Amino acid sequence: MFLRYKKIVNDLATDPVKSLLLVLAVAIGVFGIGTTLGAYAVLNREMARNYMGTHPAQATIMVDKGLDRAAVERVKTVPGIVEAERRATAEARMKIGGEWQRLLLFTVDDFSAMKVGAFTPLAGTWPPPDGTMLVEHGALEVMRAQAGSTISVKLPDGEPVGIPISGTVHDPGLAPARQEQTGYGYITPATLALLDRARGMDQMRIITAHRTPDAIEKTAGEAARALEAMGYAVHEIQIPPPERHPHSGQMNAILTLLVSFSFLLLVLSAVLVANAVSVVMVRQVREIGVMKTVGATSGMIARIYLFMIGIIAVLGTASALPPGIHAATAFVDRIAHLLNFTITDYAIPGWVYAAQVLSGMAIPLGVAAASVIRGSRITIREAITDYGVRQEDCGPGRAEIFLTDAGRWGTTLTLSFRNLFRNHARLLIALTLLASGGAMFAGALNLSKAWDIELDQLFEQRRYDLEVRFSHPIEALPIAEIIRALPGIQTVEVWSYASTSFPSGGMFPITRTYPDTGHGSFTALAAPSGTKLINLPLLQGKWLSPMSGDEVVLNHWAVARIPGVKPGDTVTLAHEGNNSQWRVAGIVENIGSAAEAYVSSAAFDRMSGAGGKANMLRVAFTSREPSIFSATVRGIEDLLYREHAPVKVITPTNILRNAVAEHMAILVSLLLAMAMLMGVVGAIGLMSTLSMNIMERTRELGVMRAVGATPGAIFRLLIAEGVTIGVVSIPIALILSLPLSIGMGRLIGNMAFRIPLPFAVSTAAIAGWIGIVLAGSVLATVYPAWKAMRIPVREALAYE
Amino acid sequence: MGTGRFIEIQGLSKTFQTPSGPFTALKDVSLSLRKGRRVALVGKSGSGKSTLLNMITGIDRPTTGLIVVGDTPVHALSEGSLAQWRGKNVGVVFQFFQLLPTLTVLENVLLPMDFTNSYPRKERHARARALLEEMGIAEQAGKLPAALSGGQQQRAAIARALANNPPLLVADEPTGNLDSHTAEEIFELFARLSRQGTTVLVVTHERELSRYFEETISIADGAITSVSGATRTAESRQGGHSHVSSI
Repeated sequence: MFLRYKKIVNDLATDPVKSLLLVLAVAIGVFGIGTTLGAYAVLNREMARNYMGTHPAQATIMVDKGLDRAAVERVKTVPGIVEAERRATAEARMKIGGEWQRLLLFTVDDFSAMKVGAFTPLAGTWPPPDGTMLVEHGALEVMRAQAGSTISVKLPDGEPVGIPISGTVHDPGLAPARQEQTGYGYITPATLALLDRARGMDQMRIITAHRTPDAIEKTAGEAARALEAMGYAVHEIQIPPPERHPHSGQMNAILTLLVSFSFLLLVLSAVLVANAVSVVMVRQVREIGVMKTVGATSGMIARIYLFMIGIIAVLGTASALPPGIHAATAFVDRIAHLLNFTITDYAIPGWVYAAQVLSGMAIPLGVAAASVIRGSRITIREAITDYGVRQEDCGPGRAEIFLTDAGRWGTTLTLSFRNLFRNHARLLIALTLLASGGAMFAGALNLSKAWDIELDQLFEQRRYDLEVRFSHPIEALPIAEIIRALPGIQTVEVWSYASTSFPSGGMFPITRTYPDTGHGSFTALAAPSGTKLINLPLLQGKWLSPMSGDEVVLNHWAVARIPGVKPGDTVTLAHEGNNSQWRVAGIVENIGSAAEAYVSSAAFDRMSGAGGKANMLRVAFTSREPSIFSATVRGIEDLLYREHAPVKVITPTNILRNAVAEHMAILVSLLLAMAMLMGVVGAIGLMSTLSMNIMERTRELGVMRAVGATPGAIFRLLIAEGVTIGVVSIPIALILSLPLSIGMGRLIGNMAFRIPLPFAVSTAAIAGWIGIVLAGSVLATVYPAWKAMRIPVREALAYE
Repeated sequence: MGTGRFIEIQGLSKTFQTPSGPFTALKDVSLSLRKGRRVALVGKSGSGKSTLLNMITGIDRPTTGLIVVGDTPVHALSEGSLAQWRGKNVGVVFQFFQLLPTLTVLENVLLPMDFTNSYPRKERHARARALLEEMGIAEQAGKLPAALSGGQQQRAAIARALANNPPLLVADEPTGNLDSHTAEEIFELFARLSRQGTTVLVVTHERELSRYFEETISIADGAITSVSGATRTAESRQGGHSHVSSI
């Protein structure tokens, strides 16, 4: 090795703390990129493997009665059909801890020959014996059960039956049970008959040879026609977005945001590297002068220091690769749990490593090049006499001198303030790093608060505490009257609901509903005139008028399906194969719901032909105090049971809130983790800046001590400098956090709710960041201040 | 340049731009020095002696004027060429030694050879050791500079300055940081080097050490005010400007 390069290696070893900071600066960026890109690559691959590995149904044809095997064989002969299988999905209820909760029961014709919507056995008996059920392993938590437990299960038109859990399965095609607050069970046709004798396998799930929605729809339409020719009435065809997991949008939101954050982190770490390199160059300026004196050219000097950056970059990259991969794996596991995936292969593709190496090598060398070239071009005279600080470039201006007048602040603080202005560029870098970290920290907390506010909108928009859905229309008014008389009841309203869709032009109603019946659904709701139980903010137009014969109010999710629709336009809604025309009265915001269309009760009656009957009640309670709330729900449950009401599902609003909150909880916590990482970057930046400031003033500090300043006074002076930079950065950070919060709120809100999150400022963020900055400033200053204190006065005075 | 003249300076001026305005450190200085001489540059602080030294070594560039050392027009060299020329032809000794703290004494001496690639690699260690031997600090070769006394560090710095066997050795206040006994030892060393043919140019404000020098050039306010111990071949004074030659 050339001696000159040995010198660099020795330099790095001489001050391990500084070298470590440099390595850390590089490593942080590489770590961020490795974690997010690694997770992104693995998740994209595994999501496709998991979801597509289940052979999800491209279309589900819903018919009016149980399909026989001949129907399955007939559909298989339709051109373009690759696989067909009959199934049933029953919206049942299970009794958990004295309360009835939602349970989806999937009936499978032949567990040993599943070709569509397959799932894999994990434990227990396969296939499940008749009278038992297998449970999706992730749902055990929601069901508060384990293999061997017996769950009381009830279908809308049946009696409660105790169904033992005979084993567990993994079904990656479903959204996780915890997020949906739903149980998932898998039963045989015999078990279905046990629960409801009249219920048959009324779904034909198909896989076609096509990949586009239009082609799938065409083939599914032909299969539906074949079934109609066999005497089945087709209600609707459910065609969810092809090859897309129901939570793929959620995952994309998380990954998009995190990848954006990690690139921002990379930029900050690059600034940090540039800052740290300029520290090194300042420190080395005298030695550069000496090396030039003994024959080194500017080019040689530049190469020497680029070699040093190269070592730092290699160490930073190498040290960040394993933890980056480890974090990516942990992140993948977390997301896999979130999405109910099993990761079969954690291998991170080569391009991620390449991106890490590129970001770890090219960026430090790139950003450091300017400092290195500038430093290498310094003349010997400047290097030897000025110690790299051109007096004419530095120092506080007149305004700064006025603002930092000693009479106003006292000598110590004045010295601290003026020292900060010695090098404006350096001060700016420290402030940029700290303010960026703070902005992201406050932005993340603001976002978290905005998310909470938006979740609370669930209660604002839904003034009911319980929604009861019946499996078919009934004379609901008398039941509503009885419920109203129960203790704890404030209001009861009679509503109705029906699955609907915007017709696609084919013979059959096409919906985008997933097999879990929730994701992608579109529901028409009959709102009672003058309803007091919803308070949906109007985005455009007006709410339904009392005489609104053919008016419809769409929520923003429904509008997303026919972009550009506005009040006054006419839309067509399909229900049970019939199309009807509606004039759009208004568009409302609706948090936590899928697509919905509100019409008057009379108009709904005409559309559905319910003959004045209704299939939904919404109930407001007098109290949300948990024990009273539970007692009230139980009172209604008991009453409905006594009245033999065909309850399909009962959803307390707080369960809905929990379900929505679960969907994005991980995002908020990951944002906070990122924010903390930003804070660390800011603190390292501050430490570099202060080190540089102190290093330049070693002799000056010696002079101060020679004229009577105690080591303690010097220490306090330097700490005051660090804290001053921190304090100055706080308002900048908080101001920067505002547009950041708005931008992130818009991104996440649009992805989660299709509307921006409200703007919110978190007082916890302000207080937290002030605390972190003050503590961080002190901590970042302690080391360089301690080092400065330890230099004997004689040495400090001799320091050149 | 005339026969035997090693350093030729003509009409040299240097003006610095300072926050309080332009400051002229050297005013139209002309000077000739013969090879192998031992010359002291003396003057008060701020007189311009270090600036003159910096001009001769190419550490700084003149505002106007010519500097020729040997056959090299120093004032006309590019930065890169200047560095390589200096590395091979000029040994520089600083007041504060300026040894690189993370290299051993031996490595510090090897450094100029490394930068200028002036000796075959295999020979460099032997040469560096020989120089340290000559300076009387061979036993310190493997130590870091911080472990050496001031005098030892300055000897190491001189060894480094001599690494490429330069015909010119310049030293700026080389004994300013040393006790008088050590200072005398250093000057003895310079005398020995001069006898071996090296031109030695030393900036000092310690006039009592002038006995070690064959010539003493006094500078005040950026101009040469006197030359002692030298045969002046030409001298004229015009408004404080000096034109001096020495044998």
